[in-house]
Amino acid sequence: MGWRARILATLVLLALSISPALAQLRGVELYAPRGFGHVIGDTLTLTADIALDAPFRLDSASLPTPRALNYWLDLRDVRVKDQGVRDGVHRYTLDLVYQTFYAPLEPRRLTIPAVALFAVDGERRVAVDVPSWSFLMSPLREIVATGPGPAMALRPDIAPRLLPTAPLMRGLLLALGVALLALLLLAWQMGWGPFGRRRSRPFARAARAIPAALAAPAADPALAASRYARALQALHRAFDATDGKGVFAEDLPGFFERHAAFRAAEAEVRRLFAASRRAFFGADPAGAQRELPPAELVALSRRLRAVERGTA
Amino acid sequence: MRLRRLTLFATGTVLFASLAAASWLGARLIVVERDNGLIASLNAGHDLAISAEDPPELVFARLHFLATRDRLDEAQPLLNQLAGGPDRRLAVAALYDMANARLRVAFNHLESSRIDPAIPLVRLAKDNYRRALTLDPGFWDAKYNLDIAMRLVRDFPQIELEGEELPPEAVKKLWTDLPGLPRGLP
Repeated sequence: MGWRARILATLVLLALSISPALAQLRGVELYAPRGFGHVIGDTLTLTADIALDAPFRLDSASLPTPRALNYWLDLRDVRVKDQGVRDGVHRYTLDLVYQTFYAPLEPRRLTIPAVALFAVDGERRVAVDVPSWSFLMSPLREIVATGPGPAMALRPDIAPRLLPTAPLMRGLLLALGVALLALLLLAWQMGWGPFGRRRSRPFARAARAIPAALAAPAADPALAASRYARALQALHRAFDATDGKGVFAEDLPGFFERHAAFRAAEAEVRRLFAASRRAFFGADPAGAQRELPPAELVALSRRLRAVERGTA
Repeated sequence: MRLRRLTLFATGTVLFASLAAASWLGARLIVVERDNGLIASLNAGHDLAISAEDPPELVFARLHFLATRDRLDEAQPLLNQLAGGPDRRLAVAALYDMANARLRVAFNHLESSRIDPAIPLVRLAKDNYRRALTLDPGFWDAKYNLDIAMRLVRDFPQIELEGEELPPEAVKKLWTDLPGLPRGLP
């Protein structure tokens, strides 16, 4: 709106003696936009600060209704804000939004008429006048066209535009992305597809559980024996998990039938089972370690992991 | 186990919801692409019948097609539909394009000195421009074209019965309702 001119509507004090009721009106201050340079179709907002003595209220029935005031001026909007009572003064802010449709040929002074309102307190009524306001309207075009082209060339039409598809496309891609993520998460949770194979890789787990340090000769034979036994157990658990049930030496032909890939390591597997039979049932850990030395056990665990992975 | 089932259920719900959203968006996209095809062919000059249920952008494309071919009577129902519709931008565009079309027809009449049929067209054009400016007071092209229309057929104050509403000086400024191509000072 730019800067605002401030017009104080002075009270006619003479009227006091005629109408004592006027004392109830403290004042009407009008805040207006700049008073020049308005063109056809512009909206003008006049703001009036109205101060009344406390028991008086602005009569809302006296407010103008938005309508066409005359052939060039529309009252578009009327907004009243009650600012409440302070120090015995009831203040209101009244916004009047006008729209002018005057088409001047040269800058022309026009006047927005005064608005007559009423303040009421029970039976008493006081007139509250929002003063008139005048401003200059400017033309948009010269009187005789001197520019190039035809004199009354219209501004071009608004061409129809296509419906926007980008937001829909973005939403679709987002939804598909979320669906794909959810599907992957579900597959991981359910162990479908590649996740299933990853989850059931018992030999990989066994190879991880058997430390490379097992291959190095240990100083304490008892400690070495218990580590060797744990390594054997880890491998046995891997066989059990792969077959889905306990695998013993006598089950090995069936195991190789079901899991043909492991046939590549059949001799070592048989030695492993022989060693564990000695270790767990023969109570001969030293003999077992001679049958399958720790270094070879580590190598076997790596081999079986490779077979399981399919890279042997 | 309970937690596992809960996360499985949550994942499944997310999957289902996102798939439902994707299928809805995909269906919408197909419909919008079809409408865009229709708008493009209207813009290319092929007339297509449309229905009132079609999206307002398509209705506006048809209105533009009719208005640029001086088929104003067919365009008027579409203008009524758009001007009363919820899309303010399209309402403004429809009012403006229709007013431009009326003014162009009026120019044709004036060029061959047929004044009587031109006057109502200019008046309707002015009314459409005013309604467009009421919706969008910052629409400069409508201001400019309304200025042109105003100089063709001036507004004049109507003498209202409630005299106090009318500023007294306005009563004196009676304009004759004659069209005039401005050739100098009025």
